[in-house]
Amino acid sequence: MRNVVKAEEGEIFDVELSEDLLRANEELAAKNREILRIHGIRTIEVMGSIGSGKTSLIAEMVKRLKDAYRIAFIAGDLTTTIDSDRISGQGVEVVQINTGKECHLDANLIMKALKHLNLESLDLIFIENVGNLICPAEFKLGSEKRIVVVSVTEGPYMVVKHPFIFMEADVAVINKIDLAEAMGIDPSKLERDALTINPRIKVVRTSCRTGEGIDRVVEALGL
Amino acid sequence: MAVRLVDTVLREAKKRNSKKVLEVHLLVGRLSLLGHEQLRFWYKTLGKGTIIEGSKLRISVEKAEVSCGNCGYRGPIHFEEGLYDHIVFPTLRCPRCGSFVEVVKGRDCLIKSIRMVA
Repeated sequence: MRNVVKAEEGEIFDVELSEDLLRANEELAAKNREILRIHGIRTIEVMGSIGSGKTSLIAEMVKRLKDAYRIAFIAGDLTTTIDSDRISGQGVEVVQINTGKECHLDANLIMKALKHLNLESLDLIFIENVGNLICPAEFKLGSEKRIVVVSVTEGPYMVVKHPFIFMEADVAVINKIDLAEAMGIDPSKLERDALTINPRIKVVRTSCRTGEGIDRVVEALGL
Repeated sequence: MAVRLVDTVLREAKKRNSKKVLEVHLLVGRLSLLGHEQLRFWYKTLGKGTIIEGSKLRISVEKAEVSCGNCGYRGPIHFEEGLYDHIVFPTLRCPRCGSFVEVVKGRDCLIKSIRMVA
């Protein structure tokens, strides 16, 4: 006979757990990753500061890749469709996620977005996260590679002030390089900062406006 | 995160037909981005009117530990101090050989235990 010991009413007891609060998102991200893998779709997530050039970078890459890949774009933003409108003009399927006041995308939102796409007919998906160098680091989406975009117009400390997102990213893009001199910014310092934080990160300097460096980003992503 | 925390605590308490939660012990990794003060504030705010009200939130910090696949180093994460005045930041560099390291501890946010009244 099994003796079951139950707490008596009013008795104080401890419950030992190991409840991971981030696990729910991690599990969904893993599911997303698996769905994308099964369909043979490469997924690149673009994070970065506000106005750093995330959408411009994606637009430039889409221009160069749309003959080789069937591409879709998932845009995350608080309330507008400004970003997705720019890319849909290139004949690419677009899903807009409006996060409301939420400052980052999460795996759940991506899972919902994937349901709006015909995955059978895609090879490559770009996801643009909300402009934010803090929160997205913690919430994986299930993408294959993560890029973080900063620009020389944000000052010299943008990288060292946000180590966690550079730890998470596979590629760091330093954009608006054509303005570095006007800003008095030394891009090699930003590059050094990124590599100090994450020795494995690949750093590419770009100007989305002139097209400089975009091919090197494509190469760094293995596309 | 606070919502998830409160929901989880309430769920566990309900499972055990508890009348009141006394204390929750949270283990927060040094590399997790959680703001402790903010978490406390929202825990208290969201807990109002529930069996969590009045309970204590105890937060322990888990130190960041890294492991180097190149030289075998296993120990505290390296903080870079010398590059800029007054700016110290963590890095994924091995303090011994400078190679890329994996984080083995310090990223989690776990509820370790909940003290409640039956």
